[in-house]
Amino acid sequence: MDWLDLGLTFVKTLAILLTVVNTVPIMSWVERRGAALIQDRPGPNRVGPLGLIQPIADFVKFIWKEDPTPANVSGVLYTIAPFLSLLPACLVLAALPVGDHLVVMGREVRMQIADLDVGLLYVLAISSLGIYGILFGGWASNNKFSLLGGLRSASQMISYEIPLAIAATGMVLFYGTLNLREIVLWQEGTLLGVLPRWGVVLQPFGFLLFLIAAFAETNRLPFDLPETEAELVAGYHTEYGSMKFATFMMAEYMNLTTISGMMVTLYFGGWHIPWIGDSQLLAWFGGSRNILGLFQFVVFFTKVTAFLFLFVWVRWTVPRFRFDQLMRLAWGRLIPLTLLNLVVSAVVLYLVEGR
Amino acid sequence: MEAFAPVGLLLAIALAMCAGILGLTTWLGPRRPSAAKLSTYECGAIPEGNARQPFRSRFYLIAVLFLLFDVEAVFFIPWALVYRESLAEGAGLLLAMLVYLGFVVLGLIYVIRKKCLELY
Amino acid sequence: MSPNEWMIAGMGIFVLVCAVAVIFSRSPIYGAFGLVLCFFGMAGLFLAWSSPFLAMIQVLISTGAVVVLFVFVVMLLNLGHGSGGGVAGWVTVLFASGGIWTLSLVLLRALNRSPFYPAPSGAQGAGGLRAFSKLLFTDYLWPFEVLSVFLLAVVVATYVVARPEAGNVARKENR
Repeated sequence: MDWLDLGLTFVKTLAILLTVVNTVPIMSWVERRGAALIQDRPGPNRVGPLGLIQPIADFVKFIWKEDPTPANVSGVLYTIAPFLSLLPACLVLAALPVGDHLVVMGREVRMQIADLDVGLLYVLAISSLGIYGILFGGWASNNKFSLLGGLRSASQMISYEIPLAIAATGMVLFYGTLNLREIVLWQEGTLLGVLPRWGVVLQPFGFLLFLIAAFAETNRLPFDLPETEAELVAGYHTEYGSMKFATFMMAEYMNLTTISGMMVTLYFGGWHIPWIGDSQLLAWFGGSRNILGLFQFVVFFTKVTAFLFLFVWVRWTVPRFRFDQLMRLAWGRLIPLTLLNLVVSAVVLYLVEGR
Repeated sequence: MEAFAPVGLLLAIALAMCAGILGLTTWLGPRRPSAAKLSTYECGAIPEGNARQPFRSRFYLIAVLFLLFDVEAVFFIPWALVYRESLAEGAGLLLAMLVYLGFVVLGLIYVIRKKCLELY
Repeated sequence: MSPNEWMIAGMGIFVLVCAVAVIFSRSPIYGAFGLVLCFFGMAGLFLAWSSPFLAMIQVLISTGAVVVLFVFVVMLLNLGHGSGGGVAGWVTVLFASGGIWTLSLVLLRALNRSPFYPAPSGAQGAGGLRAFSKLLFTDYLWPFEVLSVFLLAVVVATYVVARPEAGNVARKENR
């Protein structure tokens, strides 16, 4: 690729990465205000109007605070474990399509960092690497609570990866491709003239299973036993302070954003709005691909924000699972159900389109 | 392979960001170690004994079973990719997968019946 | 050398360095971490040979499941920091990997072969993946089904070998 391509890719990468990194402080504010709303109390309202400057104040605090490092920790692994958590959270963004394409200086620029033909598999593979930050963090802290929390969290994450993968595979049956951009393009138009041709309309049950597995993958309530306060102090990040702790939190919120993005891409039509096709929108915007691209970007992130609010809402509404209940749910309920979903979809497809 | 080049770019940028965060805390944070801060945290109690004690083999079992079922789940992906195209030639792929799925489900039933995953 | 050959050379050196680091690391956990990096290098090599599917499977299974298993085992067996001593780590790694690389290049040249295989053409992305999937269910259907039986056998074997007996657990924990 020549220098212009390289420059455009660089700008694109920076734009998408910074957008997602910026959702972290916004999410922390939404989390605290949302929790306060549900719990009928004010929440942070001292720092700036409605407490909006709170995330910035927190960030400044995290940088300037002392980083307490206990004496018995295992050196290098203790230091890099939070970043081992952060790196996969950043890398997964590469395959997410936030829009169709822009036209810059006569070149078509895809609104995706990397247009991978194996996009879905890439996302599954890289999110399976998020376990290492937790495992090494828990072990390197040389603390009984951290170790147990790390091990439990890792077991939970690996147990729920299988239903996540199989539920996503159920959708691939319909799409016939692993390329995330083609998956979104497939979801344009209507089904039977009435319903939007989104994944959730084709496989509502599969979406539900994916949603549950997503909650467990990101260690969110009701699946956050490994990091709750009452059970294990703070689980695998007990011995981490200031910026390293903030890095773990950053990785968690970025994982949330990424998996919400995956749900929007696979099940909710990506950047499409229901019933109005892209060509019609293009005509409304006077044929300008760039304005359409911006609009698609806004639609995508609105849907992602809706899912993020759902995550916050569920967190403060339901009680958490016990660890053995969690495991039984994964192996005894979710895996058989996702397999059933796969078989039923395959049989239905055969009956409708076979021979 | 060319499609993955931006991933390398993203990796480089993410690594730079991580290095930046690490550098920021190292240079800007004060460093005042004290006996309380250096000790391991155990809700105020004095920790005793080595933290790394041997524990339940259930975790090992979970990890191995995950590996096996992950390999099986991976085989669904090529099947799902070509399933719709192959429907024109009959139910061959569907039957092949039903046989495969039968064995996967057998394994799952075995694991659940033998209570491999009961943790408490 | 084309960019592809640079990628193969670079990833090859990376894999070798990480593999040597795994062997000479002072603790099994650091060895497992080196193994993670090594498998990443192998995924990069698969990419250089135009097999993105294999590269992703390598990351998903090898790095995401096998090494996780190894780390679990290391933690279970409480192997701790391992025995120290020996030659300074980075020196060994550097010289060992450089030596292996040079020797293999010399050997290949002596055998009059190019050390760099050209990337296979026409096996790009999902095009190659679709062809592979079709092959899997037509020509290689029998091995595919046998594989599922084989995995079932492994599941049973795992249970038999690592059978969690209620009495033994209590006895092992109060050691």
